[in-house]
Amino acid sequence: MHRCRRYDRRTAPDAGRCLPDSELESGGLTRPYTSSSTRPAPVAIAGMAAVSAFGRGTGPLLDAALAGRPAFRAVDRFDVSARRVTVAATLPDSPGLLDELIDAVDAACADADLSAAQRRDAPLLLAVHGDAAIGRAPAAQRSGHSAAALAEAIAGKCGLGGSVRAYTSACVAASTAVADAAAMVRHGHARRVVVAAGYLVEPDQFALFDAGRALATDGAVRPFSAGRTGLLLGDGVGAVVLCAAGDSRVRCGVAGWARTGDGYHVVQPSPDGAGLARAVRTALTRAGVGADEVGYVNAHGSGTTASDAAEAAALRRAFGQLAERVPVSSTKSVHGQALEASSLLELIVTALALERGELPVNAGFLGPDEQCPLSLVLAPRRTSVHYGLTLNAAFGGANTALLLVAP
Amino acid sequence: MTGLAVICRAAWPESTEDGPAPPLPGFVYSTFSPLVAAVADRCLARSHASPPADPARGPRTATVLVSRYGDVTSAVLVAEAVDAGRRVAPLLFYQAVPNAVAGYLTARWGLTGPVVCVSPVGDAMTEGMAVAAGLIEDGDADEALIVAVEQAMGSGVDSASAVLVGAG
Repeated sequence: MHRCRRYDRRTAPDAGRCLPDSELESGGLTRPYTSSSTRPAPVAIAGMAAVSAFGRGTGPLLDAALAGRPAFRAVDRFDVSARRVTVAATLPDSPGLLDELIDAVDAACADADLSAAQRRDAPLLLAVHGDAAIGRAPAAQRSGHSAAALAEAIAGKCGLGGSVRAYTSACVAASTAVADAAAMVRHGHARRVVVAAGYLVEPDQFALFDAGRALATDGAVRPFSAGRTGLLLGDGVGAVVLCAAGDSRVRCGVAGWARTGDGYHVVQPSPDGAGLARAVRTALTRAGVGADEVGYVNAHGSGTTASDAAEAAALRRAFGQLAERVPVSSTKSVHGQALEASSLLELIVTALALERGELPVNAGFLGPDEQCPLSLVLAPRRTSVHYGLTLNAAFGGANTALLLVAP
Repeated sequence: MTGLAVICRAAWPESTEDGPAPPLPGFVYSTFSPLVAAVADRCLARSHASPPADPARGPRTATVLVSRYGDVTSAVLVAEAVDAGRRVAPLLFYQAVPNAVAGYLTARWGLTGPVVCVSPVGDAMTEGMAVAAGLIEDGDADEALIVAVEQAMGSGVDSASAVLVGAG
């Protein structure tokens, strides 16, 4: 078998494909690898759409994230009387996932000004948990319920005629889809790719997270804070259109991306954060961007004790001393954990925040935790930064990093 | 897209001597995760003998889990408990997503490449190969373990197959 090729990141056009192990494990990279003139052109985000507990559209979501205003409230969509926790970030009505996904894809395509012909050429990458109906369908009818079938239905309804793929990799499903979509565009396999993701709070996952004692017991998500007690679920549906630079107007750019694994545990992240740190460094290197150019990190920040500590360790490992200065927040503190869709909501919030020139607030903070020595965004803040990272981690030690750049 | 070369492959069952996949500690009630672990072990052992994987290859090996329907047994158990107003068994939380068993096998074999789970529209192994080819072309992995698994629905039998691939 061939081995990993070691490129000189300062000169290679495909900088970022492989990092030397010595640099992966060293204390942080602080200098740009390449001059801006040699950086590969970012993949453009040409259109975006979102649904969250704040309502339909990206505006309400962005406003709440920038203000640090959480949406958690008592769940009235289904019976939670037997649950330890009874709170989530939900829309006031009971929307249907398929309809919301179709509307979001249509809205993102319209935002990107895609013609019908352009839609017919576009692949759809969908991130969902699956079809929740499979657990209640008669055995003979279960074969009609799958994530893949949902993806096919959405593609058909929205006139997307390219290849269709459904991602089910839990909390990195959507971010993995974005990374794959960016790679498809970068390597010339597609001109435009639509990525969509959706999770709407429903009784089965709520019961599972409650049984696993993963839900916050005090009604708030407090990422990286002392006294944090866990996560809370939230509604989230999103769609983005990625395309080659120059093919469309650019709302934001995806400059770098990476997917890595911990190889550590079934559900716990590696406490040293090595896998997530490797994702950060690979994304930066792929973009030819130095750690000192990153002006904001939208962290995975689930609000659970072990996950937040591991992520803080990852940021220290990836950024070195810069980790004490780079602004960090987790927008799950306002919109909640939307499972397979959360990383797409977080990408959209980060892109819009860079466009607006303001940083999202890390809500719910009670006080510092010595295991999380980060520079948290605790109040609304203006910014002129160009590069923002969104990080995500999932059960099974799956990690992703997406580096966004303001247009 | 990068061409792929098959390094080794495995299935479960491969013969009538293969019964149900061996139980997997921490995973309960469902055959899904034990099947994934059994076929992955069998495939990886044909290239790496015993765990952990060759340290020159394991860190650059991705894990791609392909299942159109996922863990149907667990989904049905959760729905039944919820509809009956019962509490859900806590261990079901940990196997609620396909990533979980991927965490088991990647920890056991020292695989630290990407972990990707997909529900295929068409042929499962073809879709897994496409995902793997993309990861290898993009540089996030040199090799990929692809596991395709489906539980029996109706009169069929559980089945799983695995392929370890690298750039062709």
